[in-house]
Amino acid sequence: MREGMRKALLALVLLLALGSPAGALRVSDMLGRPVTLSAPAARIVSLVPSVTEILFALGADDRLVGVTDFCDYPPAARQKPSVGGMVNPNLEVLVARKPDLVVATTEGTREETVAQLERLGIPTYLVVAHHVSDVTALVTRLGELTGRRAAADALRARMEQRVEAVRRAVAPYRRPRVLYVLWPEPLIVPGRDTLVTELIRLAGGESISAADGDSYPRYSLEAAVAKAPEVILLANHGAHTGPIDRERWQRLTELAAIRTGRLHQVDGNLLHRYGPRVADGLEQLARVIHPEAFR
Amino acid sequence: MSPAHRLITLLGVLAAVLVLAGAVALFVGSAALSPRAVLDAVTGRASAESVERVVTLSIRFPRIAVAILAGGALAVAGVAFQALTRNPLAEPSVLGVSAGAAFGVVIGQSLGLGPGLLQAAGLTAFAFAGALLAAAAVYLIAAAGRELRIQTLLLAGVIVGIFFSAAITVVVSLLDFNRLGGVIHWLLGNLAPIPPRPLALFAALLAVGFGLVLAHARELNLLALGEESARQLGVHAERLKLVIFVGAALLTASVVAFAGPIGFVGLIVPHALRMLVGPDNRLLVPASLLGGGVFLLVADTVARTIVAPAELSVGVITAFCGAPFFVWLLRTRYRGSV
Amino acid sequence: MSPPLVELRGVGFAYPASGEGRAHPFRLADLSFEVGAGEIVGVLGPNSAGKTTLIRLLTRVLEPATGSIVLEGRPLRRWRSAELARRVAVVPQGVPPQFPFTVEELVLMGRYPHAPDRYFETQVDRASAHAAMEATSVLEFATQRLDSLSGGERQRAVVARALAQEPRLLVLDEPTAHLDLRYQAETAALLRRLNHERGVTILLVSHDLNLAAEVCDRLLLMAGGRQVAVGPPEAVLNEALLATAFGCEVTVEKHPTTRRPVVQPTWRADAPSIGRGDAPTTKGG
Repeated sequence: MREGMRKALLALVLLLALGSPAGALRVSDMLGRPVTLSAPAARIVSLVPSVTEILFALGADDRLVGVTDFCDYPPAARQKPSVGGMVNPNLEVLVARKPDLVVATTEGTREETVAQLERLGIPTYLVVAHHVSDVTALVTRLGELTGRRAAADALRARMEQRVEAVRRAVAPYRRPRVLYVLWPEPLIVPGRDTLVTELIRLAGGESISAADGDSYPRYSLEAAVAKAPEVILLANHGAHTGPIDRERWQRLTELAAIRTGRLHQVDGNLLHRYGPRVADGLEQLARVIHPEAFR
Repeated sequence: MSPAHRLITLLGVLAAVLVLAGAVALFVGSAALSPRAVLDAVTGRASAESVERVVTLSIRFPRIAVAILAGGALAVAGVAFQALTRNPLAEPSVLGVSAGAAFGVVIGQSLGLGPGLLQAAGLTAFAFAGALLAAAAVYLIAAAGRELRIQTLLLAGVIVGIFFSAAITVVVSLLDFNRLGGVIHWLLGNLAPIPPRPLALFAALLAVGFGLVLAHARELNLLALGEESARQLGVHAERLKLVIFVGAALLTASVVAFAGPIGFVGLIVPHALRMLVGPDNRLLVPASLLGGGVFLLVADTVARTIVAPAELSVGVITAFCGAPFFVWLLRTRYRGSV
Repeated sequence: MSPPLVELRGVGFAYPASGEGRAHPFRLADLSFEVGAGEIVGVLGPNSAGKTTLIRLLTRVLEPATGSIVLEGRPLRRWRSAELARRVAVVPQGVPPQFPFTVEELVLMGRYPHAPDRYFETQVDRASAHAAMEATSVLEFATQRLDSLSGGERQRAVVARALAQEPRLLVLDEPTAHLDLRYQAETAALLRRLNHERGVTILLVSHDLNLAAEVCDRLLLMAGGRQVAVGPPEAVLNEALLATAFGCEVTVEKHPTTRRPVVQPTWRADAPSIGRGDAPTTKGG
């Protein structure tokens, strides 16, 4: 949504809010579903690690009463009570946290879980982010939901500045073909409408799978090799993808990327999550794709 | 004691066990609720929005109901298939129907979220469609002209099951990374609370399936004499086979659609009850309804409490129980009958 | 003369030809004979003569392709299944393997045609089953599982099951196959007792020509799906007829005590078909 339209809608919502029972908040989540809160969210359960990160970054973590087992950043998030995994959160534990808002994602949380929460009458806010603009929009929305609008605006501004800086730094250079290995076996790559693809573009590269499939398609090794990537990036998930996987790729000595030694590991947690560390991830990508821009 | 009295006594005992198990299950779970709190929720003294009320009545109670219904249905389907095929290894999943239903659900889940959410009802419809497809395939393969051949039925069921399992693997391998976790989770077999309307529908479908099997329990005994002898006693063998097939398939498909693919119940419970009650299907069929309910309820209660707050899938518990039970069964039976 | 219990007129049947097309698809052709009430009739013949097919036709497991079968003056087609089962009972050869029921449970199964809509059996059913078990001397085994009994006891239990149907016609399919000599004699005695004391009409299908000769009033000799002869044992158990039907030479003598025919196949040491093909050896060969 355009910034102007967003401001107008917000004004309208506030007007309606003034006219309605004190504190009632009627918003639309990122899928356009209406979500009604009787007051700004005071007890939030986050089923999305990215959202957890943003809430901490906004200083709204005092309102966070439940997280998942995968919410590991910042380290303080691990001190928060867990309601289980992303795919299978424990309903009883979740309900026992008495949340007034649950934030979930369409990419990870099961529909049944969301349906269960709706049936139990717990307001559920769905998020999805395929573009950097979605990430910054998410920051703003979470700011509204928690009454930390000012912090959200500041965070957003910082993120946008860093993105812009990277974009300008790599602008003069030719875009190399980049193979991003989200998962080695089976080979999973980022497709058309994903955050990683856009980050690669912003970092001055072009993903060889940018036009393929939605979301995260599978590639055969042949297809990947046939597109002659000049840079190969192996994504790290936690402590995964050690030296063993590198060897697998090192053996493909016909590939330009291997001959020129442009096989790198990148921290997947910075690039797959749509939180404030996206800017860190982008900078990491850019340094790896265009080291010459950052000397 | 007349057989009717025997049956009533048996059912009475099983029902008592079931109620007891249900009551215990209501008091245990991941949310640490005191017995007092649970009682308050049940008797209506807890406030409408309270945690204990939500957990007890909206989460635990429906889940217990699903476990009981699903367990009973699977056990009855097991008895029916074992009698129909005269094979003690027969089990609901052997007819390929559960693989078909699972395939339907996997397709439904992979088509997944649109602008709105995929309703649970929609997923159930997909499951039934898959089950119907599988059952029809099995029937068509096994029916030669107007006759349903039992040996061919078993073989057809196994083949159809393998086919749909392979189809599921294909879909899973092409599936969007994000949806994968959800689908795999479903395939492991987990019970979840169902809202009242779908629960009522589930119960109604089970009642139909159960009724079909129960009404022919006496004829199922006669089938043990062999089809020809049964016919010479006046049994309408072709009709019987069809009705039992439909009833058992309906029970199986309903369970997979509403509760997911759960194995072993249809194998363990009939055999365990047979050791207690004997081979008379007129006792076994109703007893399995209650016995299966107890078994799956206990298994699910263990599954959701033993590593709390995480949960094991109930299929894991039934399998871990099933394997040693079978070893024991083989060894004692084998020794005893010589 | 009372009307016959069962009448077959020109009955023919053919099993559907199998996929490979057997050279001569099995056919039953032009069978016409009667069974009178109170008779004991034996059906004899080699293996593919059509004896089992005949039983299946009589119990409507199969439908004749040509001709008609009439039971008690009514065409078989017009009988409903349970009704038919109250008139005609078949004693098969034993029970399927791993049969899990007890003797009493087995015998009670015979009561099904009398009240198929009931869930449990009635006192009347139990009394009838009790009587049937008594008649065949298996009452003492009532609560034992069938597979814990000896072959003879098991067979008597199966007969009891058929008796519990209270049929007018009892059909026995090879009742003495696989049984010890002692049980063969017992079975013969049992059949005669049932016939004389209860007036049960009996149709006995058997390989055992001598048992049939002993017990039956009339015999039907079949071969290749056709009837070869019908009549009293002395007439049917004729060396020429038997040789034609069975394809081997026989001798027929009279039993010393009962004066019934006794059939013996001809054992010939020098017959080429008896494969002892060695030439006589000479020492030092």
